[in-house]
Amino acid sequence: MKTLEMANHLSVTLLFAVVVVGQALTPSTFLTTLDQNRLKSVFEAAHPFTDVTNAHYGILGLSLLGSTVPNAQEACKNINSNVDKTSIASLYHASSAAKHLTGCKLNVGDVQSLLEGAIKSDGDVVNIFHAVFALKNLGLKVDNKKTLQTLEEALKKDDSALSYGYSFQIAAELSGSKFFDHIEDVIAQADEVDDKYLQFEGGLYVTSFIIDSAYKLGTKLNKAPTISADKVIKFSNYFLTRKHIHQLRAAAYFLSAIKTLADNKFHVPLAVTLASPVAVSKSQPVVQVRVTNLMGGSLGSLKVVADNAKNIGEGSVVLNKKPFTENSKDKSLFELNMLDSKPAKGFYEISISATPSKTDKRLLGTTGAIVKIKVTTTVSLEGVEIGVADKDQTSVPRSTNLQYPKRSANVLEADFHQKIVMKFKLLDKTTSQSLSAHQTFVRFTNQKTKQEIIFVAESDSSNLNKFELDVGARGKDFGFQSGQYGMELIIGDPVIENPISWTMADVKLTFQEGQAKTKPSTNQYSKKPEIQHQFNKPEKRPPAVVSLAFSGLVLLPVLILFILWIKLGVNISNFPVSLSAIGFHVCLAAIFGLYYCYWTQLNMFQTLRWLGILAVPTFLFGNRLLSGLASKRKTV
Amino acid sequence: MPESLVSVLGKLYDEYVHSTPKKLKIIDAYLVYVLLTGIIQFVYCALVGTFPFNSFLSGFISTVGTFVLGVCLRLQVNPLNKSDFSGISPERAFADFVFAHVILHLVVVNFIG
Repeated sequence: MKTLEMANHLSVTLLFAVVVVGQALTPSTFLTTLDQNRLKSVFEAAHPFTDVTNAHYGILGLSLLGSTVPNAQEACKNINSNVDKTSIASLYHASSAAKHLTGCKLNVGDVQSLLEGAIKSDGDVVNIFHAVFALKNLGLKVDNKKTLQTLEEALKKDDSALSYGYSFQIAAELSGSKFFDHIEDVIAQADEVDDKYLQFEGGLYVTSFIIDSAYKLGTKLNKAPTISADKVIKFSNYFLTRKHIHQLRAAAYFLSAIKTLADNKFHVPLAVTLASPVAVSKSQPVVQVRVTNLMGGSLGSLKVVADNAKNIGEGSVVLNKKPFTENSKDKSLFELNMLDSKPAKGFYEISISATPSKTDKRLLGTTGAIVKIKVTTTVSLEGVEIGVADKDQTSVPRSTNLQYPKRSANVLEADFHQKIVMKFKLLDKTTSQSLSAHQTFVRFTNQKTKQEIIFVAESDSSNLNKFELDVGARGKDFGFQSGQYGMELIIGDPVIENPISWTMADVKLTFQEGQAKTKPSTNQYSKKPEIQHQFNKPEKRPPAVVSLAFSGLVLLPVLILFILWIKLGVNISNFPVSLSAIGFHVCLAAIFGLYYCYWTQLNMFQTLRWLGILAVPTFLFGNRLLSGLASKRKTV
Repeated sequence: MPESLVSVLGKLYDEYVHSTPKKLKIIDAYLVYVLLTGIIQFVYCALVGTFPFNSFLSGFISTVGTFVLGVCLRLQVNPLNKSDFSGISPERAFADFVFAHVILHLVVVNFIG
């Protein structure tokens, strides 16, 4: 029973841990004054507003930032002269811009029927949006009930997320409570990225417009928009990654959405930002975090606690539930002396939660905010020994102790039978323990040529760094350039505050004579020698005598043939003297003559033509001769 | 043993000389001639090399082809094989022989290079 209980406890704890990890989403940045100034310059760049669309977004952005529009009179005049009185979109932008300019009146004549005509159920939702707001801005009449009905019809055909965004704005303006229920469905259409960001297809403008509209509608109806807390935080994270936006329209609505999220009746996400340098050291032991809304505004009196600080990599936890103290001058700035809990050097993640002293249900992301810092330390070099030893270790190496940062008084000499041995240890000054640094190099600089050769000084398991230079074997690295070298020790690490670069000694190295080969310096970009085509070399032929002898030899069997035939007593006298017999043999001889010509001069086609011509008489003569012979044989 | 071999060979020779028709002997002489030519070509190739390879090959194909055609002619002309080649008279066989030669040597000359 007890074990079961414990298991239950364990699973609850695990669940809690998962929830905490899952909530580690709280924005770690906000829209700083610097960011706001940059946005301001984006909006001011739209001046002198020769285009009503730019005028609208530029003036909207500036008024959201609470700054005045430069040359308001001129801007008003520009809008009046640039508005297209037949275009609904143009009327919307011009009237919206004029609304934000104090004392600017837009003269467009009678556009009531034109704008009302645009509110129709078979049109785009964006047209209805433009028409409704143009009417409102111009102080003209809008039939609320009819417009909302038409909007509902139009949404059936044009049902993109952005269209719903437009409809929320219209509903907020005309108090259409029906549309509130759509918020949940539309938010569900957002795409999640990396489990950290939520955005709508279409980017920053679409996302910020929809979120802004949803909150406007919620505010109007005094009902919290149905967006869950983690989704609000994910949207906020997405907005803040895009705070460097330079596009006018997206910038204006981005600012509008951020302002809405910074101050509304329902959801206010926190931003927990590191305000002090990332490196925490003895001279700078205090971690400062700023807990604000997304615009950098104060959230009133808060209690900020560091839940824990975890060493990244090792996983050890150094502090637990330690409260931050509020800065006396700045209410949104909170401080914690990190070194009080004596953390070892390394990188840490501090998990922070903030609770308002007066319960405020609007605040989101109050637990599990993560701030990353590193704890640095100073190191000292101890036990530095340098000496020259024989390669075969027969003699005990003579070594001298050195004290950082003094340079060795005498010049070390080593030739190619010897090696230079150097040892040192790094001590953490805060804990007096030895440590190993990421980068430990030994650099030799030739004092004449300024050529540098760098080696790594490896450390063993007890953090003792040992460096050996076998002068003979390493000669190649030095290009066999004997002479005096400066020997420098370089130590660096991200968590070491005082990196070391110490020219510890001068060494005179002697390399084997005669090996001082210097490679001829070649320009690898110079012209390469031209490549000449080479034909296959003909194979060696036998001497002509041999070939001729064999040619003769091949003809020799002909003689043998004739001798044999004569011995057998060939009856040549029986040769029938007739036209066909002579013709047949002549034709055959001609064919073989043709073959000879083919070998020596003719080509295939000529040969085949001649062969065709010769074949006819040969066939006729041969046929006659042989059938004659056959019939003669039969009669005999 | 060698005596019996000699006697067997002698008997074989006598038999050949006396019972083989003259026509076949003529063809046999022709075949011997072709065989010798082929052997000489082969010896050349073995001793000197095959360098103009297509020339060697076409020459050798010529002798081998000629030898095969000669053997075919001999088979068809031999009166003892009459039952096998009943529809083919010796003249017809010779005509085929000549025709095949014309084709064979067209190829050989084409290949000789």
